[in-house]
Amino acid sequence: MLAGIDYFIVIAYIIGMLLLGLYFKKFVNSSEDYFLGGKSLPFWAIGMSIVVSDIGALDFVGVSGQAYRYGISVGNFDWVGSVPAMLLAAFIFIPYFWRGGMYTIPEYLGRRYNQKVRTIASVTWILFFALDLGVLFWASAVLLNVLMGWPIWISIVATAGVVGLYTYFGGITAVIMTDVVQFVIMFIGGFALVFLSLYEVGGWDNMVDKIATMGPEYRNHFDIIQPQDTKSPFPWTGILFGLTFVMANAYMIGNQSIVQRCLTAKNEWHAKASMIFGSALKMFIPILVLFPGLMAVVVHPGLLDGDQALPMMIKSILPPGLVGLMFAAFFAGLMSSVDSLLNSTATLFTKDIYEPFIKKGADDKHYLRVGQITTLVLLLIGVATSPISSDFPGIYVAIQTFMSYFQGPIFAILLLGIFWKRTTEWGGLSALVIGIGFAIYLNVFKEQFFTIEDPFLYISWWSFLLGFIVNVTVSLLTKKHTEEQLQGLVFSSKILVKNKKL
Amino acid sequence: MFNFDWLSGVSQETAKMIFLGLYALIGFLVLLLPTEYVYEGIAKEDRHWWNNLKIWSIAVLVILASIYNHF
Repeated sequence: MLAGIDYFIVIAYIIGMLLLGLYFKKFVNSSEDYFLGGKSLPFWAIGMSIVVSDIGALDFVGVSGQAYRYGISVGNFDWVGSVPAMLLAAFIFIPYFWRGGMYTIPEYLGRRYNQKVRTIASVTWILFFALDLGVLFWASAVLLNVLMGWPIWISIVATAGVVGLYTYFGGITAVIMTDVVQFVIMFIGGFALVFLSLYEVGGWDNMVDKIATMGPEYRNHFDIIQPQDTKSPFPWTGILFGLTFVMANAYMIGNQSIVQRCLTAKNEWHAKASMIFGSALKMFIPILVLFPGLMAVVVHPGLLDGDQALPMMIKSILPPGLVGLMFAAFFAGLMSSVDSLLNSTATLFTKDIYEPFIKKGADDKHYLRVGQITTLVLLLIGVATSPISSDFPGIYVAIQTFMSYFQGPIFAILLLGIFWKRTTEWGGLSALVIGIGFAIYLNVFKEQFFTIEDPFLYISWWSFLLGFIVNVTVSLLTKKHTEEQLQGLVFSSKILVKNKKL
Repeated sequence: MFNFDWLSGVSQETAKMIFLGLYALIGFLVLLLPTEYVYEGIAKEDRHWWNNLKIWSIAVLVILASIYNHF
């Protein structure tokens, strides 16, 4: 439970974020301001925002829980599962999207393939983000329940109220600039917990020695590369094929909430630099979110639910004052994830669904208003769907499971769309539909196909591969696009040698 | 097949080398990028070694490789 000073820190933080977010209301005069920040933001703010919105509550609670159960291999998600994909995004994909003046990833797919592909991709992301919101709200409830004793629903509604207000008024500029402050608080709070936990366990080497003597189930706890026949969800084959080749790229290149931030950059250099700067910051994340879970193995052995590892460490290690700071750090992660999902989903709905299908050619203020109303509706959906995530054994795995349904197929059509001229609209559409269907099929019957505990990495790889093959096959059987149709949409070495000319 | 059983003979050490090799390959590809391209968006007079994105990328890859080499 929090002491008086902790309550003060947390309340001051929440009010501060609310005021800071609302300050940016005055910069929102058009839909471009609301969705792209007027294309005026610097790389450092975007880079921090990418990182902080990605880690959020899921990593603080979920990754600590995974580290408690499976060890350091969960760090692959922030290391090999981020850095190579962010470099690919920075140098190949982001320049195309930025130069094309795009608002959404499905907008690119619509130009490259057709409107159906754009709509399916957009609707899929909207559904994912809505479920994601629910998982985030549930994650906050788990920690609030342990730390403060708040009832689940009160904590969910309080989070939704604060984040919803500044996102509604300030748009993506408020989202990114509050993320910067949240990033700083998260790092201070996170490192405070890590250093004090290290002191508690007697240093790194002492912790490694203690865990090594705790039994054979901890034999691979400090191996970042897990054997192919491991029962954990992270065999090296899954990390390489499923995570590095598919999910990481799909996330960093095809995820609206990530890419949209880069599109707010003031120029192309800032857009590229934001991704690379973000990749550098990303490498520190496992220290913050993974190490406390490892140290909990020594301090609190035998926990039945790994997701309780972090809350237990906070309760037992941190003194008054730092508990409040750590909680503010957790809340920062949660808020940054929620606000980015809200704004990105509002962008997807307004640009990919509302504008083409419901009301074409309206004035800009109208679309700004639609974006704001969508933000409110999403908030309500997130709150209503949050109990779903309680049915899954690990919060972090739950979100990866949702993502694995469509990450593979979407990355397959993005990859072929930008690198292969011969890809056609029917190829892309077939790959998307069949690939997503196959991923759902594998998820439903996973016990029959897979031997590891939760095969989301394998599912993303196989659904990507099928989507890739279907796209190539159908494209070769259907009429190819003309050169005019492909102008500025397919990778050409010209982008490397002739500036501003795709 | 779905569980990559055909790779069960690959040891953890070999698998680690595959990851390190991947980072080396990415670093090589980054070095091949034209310098003009990585500076795009910055005025010619403001281009310095510290805003060369190739150097940023290589630094990140070196740190990443050292983590995998250690663990």
